[in-house]
Amino acid sequence: MSYLNPLRLHFYGSFQAAVSTVNNDPTHFNNTTFRPQYQQRQEGQNANGWWNPRGDANWRMIGCNITSAWLVDGRPAPPTDPVLTYLIADSDRTVAAKLVDLDPAQQGVSEIWGMEIRIANQHGHTLMRAKYKVAAFMDLFERVFNGGPGDRMGCAMYQSVLTDLEWGDIDDSPFLQALRKAASNGLLSIKFNVDAFDDDFKSPTFTLGRVAGTIGPAADDEPRHFVLGRHLMTTAGPGQGFFVPAGNLNFCQAVVDREAGKIYLDLGNCVCTQKPGGPFQNFGPMMVVCAITDAAGNPEYLPLASVDYLANGWYQRTAGVAVLPENRKLTWDELDTVANNPLAILLAPSAGQQPAPAIAEPPGGLYIRADQFVFRLNPGDSAEVDLYATHFGAPLPGARVINFLDGTQIGGGPLVGVPETALDFPRTLVLDQSGRARLKVTASDPGNSRGYIDGQVYGIRCALEDTLAPGLAYPFDPGEFISLLVWDTFNPDHPVTWYGSLQPIFQQYANLYPIMSRFVDLADYDSVVANRHMLAVAFGLDPGDPNYMPVTRDLSGDKRKGILEWLKNPLKGTPRVALAPPAVVKESASTPEELPGRGGKAAFYTQLRARRKHL
Amino acid sequence: MIVLNKQLLDDIDQPGGLRRALQKAIELEHATLPPYLYSYYSLAADNYAPGSPNLETANIILSVIREEMLHFAIACNILNALGGSPCIDKPDFIPAYPGPLPGGVESNLVVHLKRFSKQHDHDTFMAIEEPENPLYFPVGLALAKAPVTIGQFYTRIRKKIEELGQGILTGSTSLQVVGGGFPASELFPIRTVADVVKGIEIIKQQGEGTSTSPLDLDGNLDPEYKFAHYYRFAEIYYGRELQPIPNPPPGTPPDQRYRYDGPPIPFDESKVLPVIDDPSASKYPPSTQAHYLNDNFNYAYTGLLKALQQAFNGHPDRLGLAIQLMHSLRELALEMIVSTTLPDGQNPGPSFEYQPVNPGA
Repeated sequence: MSYLNPLRLHFYGSFQAAVSTVNNDPTHFNNTTFRPQYQQRQEGQNANGWWNPRGDANWRMIGCNITSAWLVDGRPAPPTDPVLTYLIADSDRTVAAKLVDLDPAQQGVSEIWGMEIRIANQHGHTLMRAKYKVAAFMDLFERVFNGGPGDRMGCAMYQSVLTDLEWGDIDDSPFLQALRKAASNGLLSIKFNVDAFDDDFKSPTFTLGRVAGTIGPAADDEPRHFVLGRHLMTTAGPGQGFFVPAGNLNFCQAVVDREAGKIYLDLGNCVCTQKPGGPFQNFGPMMVVCAITDAAGNPEYLPLASVDYLANGWYQRTAGVAVLPENRKLTWDELDTVANNPLAILLAPSAGQQPAPAIAEPPGGLYIRADQFVFRLNPGDSAEVDLYATHFGAPLPGARVINFLDGTQIGGGPLVGVPETALDFPRTLVLDQSGRARLKVTASDPGNSRGYIDGQVYGIRCALEDTLAPGLAYPFDPGEFISLLVWDTFNPDHPVTWYGSLQPIFQQYANLYPIMSRFVDLADYDSVVANRHMLAVAFGLDPGDPNYMPVTRDLSGDKRKGILEWLKNPLKGTPRVALAPPAVVKESASTPEELPGRGGKAAFYTQLRARRKHL
Repeated sequence: MIVLNKQLLDDIDQPGGLRRALQKAIELEHATLPPYLYSYYSLAADNYAPGSPNLETANIILSVIREEMLHFAIACNILNALGGSPCIDKPDFIPAYPGPLPGGVESNLVVHLKRFSKQHDHDTFMAIEEPENPLYFPVGLALAKAPVTIGQFYTRIRKKIEELGQGILTGSTSLQVVGGGFPASELFPIRTVADVVKGIEIIKQQGEGTSTSPLDLDGNLDPEYKFAHYYRFAEIYYGRELQPIPNPPPGTPPDQRYRYDGPPIPFDESKVLPVIDDPSASKYPPSTQAHYLNDNFNYAYTGLLKALQQAFNGHPDRLGLAIQLMHSLRELALEMIVSTTLPDGQNPGPSFEYQPVNPGA
């Protein structure tokens, strides 16, 4: 049970992601080569600190109106239900949530930290308040094909759960009463698509983008960050930057509700738009089918429903969730067929053209995914990663899982993924009777393998053994892997002093987050000491607090401990006569001069592709 | 000098009057903050870094801002001690700027949100903080009725509580808020009449000094800023620190014991950020950066009021959230000021309006 449920609401509006871009370039982490102009905006072909060096990482939900709501029996909430006038808002009692990259070498899993989600009326009165469980985006793709450079061409999705639910006075909303009842386990499921992000600092809507999402109930024993259901898989088409789905439709998920005789298909992060934030591209009629094989072994498509994705305002009203078929229930025969055969979506882009599959479940319907897929580990820490495997959406018990290091989706700056010995995890696992397994990954000190950047970044991919047979080319989602940042061991001087241990750490933050100079000069001992009470509070908060410092959540536990100790007794120590030369690190292909005129996620993926091609 | 409506004083003797008076005091303390903060933000050239222009002026204003926040907290604690409930989270808690301060002010002082200037300092800040009997300066206002200053208002509140005695302090002590960076000697639980007296004396002396000395004698947040608010603003206006005249002969009258002839307080008006006068959301057209940035500010500012509402109504631990929001307001204001320029060449500034949702375009 998830947001793909009869009982759900959809919302549509804007988000703000005021990220800092100085730290998007790995070389900017190098204190010895850092130059003041890296704190300036890009100018012409000079990348400087990219497009938003003053960013504060704030994440906001802005003007997100609830556009439709649906009851348990599949009927829309009555027009008199006030929920249809309410907003999805963020916190009205804390500082803004924060959008945080894992690392400059993994900018493809930006997480939202410290977000409260509210259902509020137009006067700000709160009907429901909850905490968003930290989650990263997934399935970033090029939503505007060949639209040009920049992040506005991309689209990605966030899926998570809402916890710590507090309900206000909802007596006059039948929908919210039903939702509260369904959330008696204290959980709701939330999923939203983000696109049309404006990275042009001259634009009035700079740092804003479009968001469309869904909130529904959540089951206790199901994954938090994806739907335990049907997963339609595409393959990579040619492109320069973001992932381009070969058949024009991006990865998407669905559930089949046998009782209701319906398929809940989420096309929200799937269909391309004509322009950023604009209407969907017209790919002709869209048909959901079940792919079967006739007696002679030829493929045949059992038509199930058409999707009216081009209808005016459809995305605004539905966030891309289609409930199919619209005007009837699936028959028992159809449901039986669907239970054992791949779902597919057919498109017929030009008139008269035979509809062809644009995306489908793979033959055999095998699927595996890690629920939480982003981890930060200190040496000695372990990540416990919950894996779920399905066969046409049903649990897949007993199968073997192969786990392997995969660095193809990460990189930039000093070489990543080494030493491999810093991660210990089983190379094979067997799924239990419910199709689940827990992968334990234990980290050890990566030995400062990146020199001027703390720790090391790794990717681990988990695959079902049956999908890895030679020559099979079973489709997989390149974005579905586990990203880990493993910090270096920190050996400070005793007692900890500014010059002995901490100055380089604070200098790096001062370089990378110019915004902090509005409060404190982090590179300056006196300024840090003068603000040490404020800093002790910020460094001492729970990382889930939106005001936690550092905003980037990239400070190791040991360093944090050292800083907190030192703030109690801020010894200065002795300045070094000369700074130690930077460690010799093998650089991969990136230098600031090679950056395109404008950066962001688009630049990250452009360089990633270029590096892979080079290799 | 702020001249309050005499009715405010008379009302204290009516049923519920004390609580109403404290609520009004809370509103009044808060109402000084937007104009002070707005001017303070306009002095953010180089982010108040050491050596940045007008840093000393900014720091003096900041010292007053911090004490006004303290006074706000003390007034809330007294209201809670009286068994009342501070009401902070409501649209009309914020006065309209330009406009009079809350309290039925009878003087003609119209408070604007303006970038900092010596004129604004003199006409507004010194006027707000002017004591009943300022040292060196005559009152200069011809009034039909006897004036009621903020100090007198507090004195009347104090006297009434002293008159009614300990029995009037019926509020739960669990509602009292302390901490938040304020020393325990200045922000403390109000449990006794003596605590009330001490709290009110802090407010009065920090704000106005005494009739015989410009010094804020009753303790200070920062020993660097030992004069009452009025004199601190006067230091900026005259461009010199106030300092005692050495070895005054016995019997020297109070107004000849100090002089504005200390070290200079430099002020360079050309370095003040050119934020517009009297901003309002309606001045920033939809779908402009100024509009969005102002919305973000106002949403956070309203969130601050909500956090304070909770902190002073049974959740004292939420004062920390309020302080975080306070810090974020500064960042949001500065981002707004430096991000974009209005068609007339000036910079937008935050409008301090009640906005409980972030509505977007």
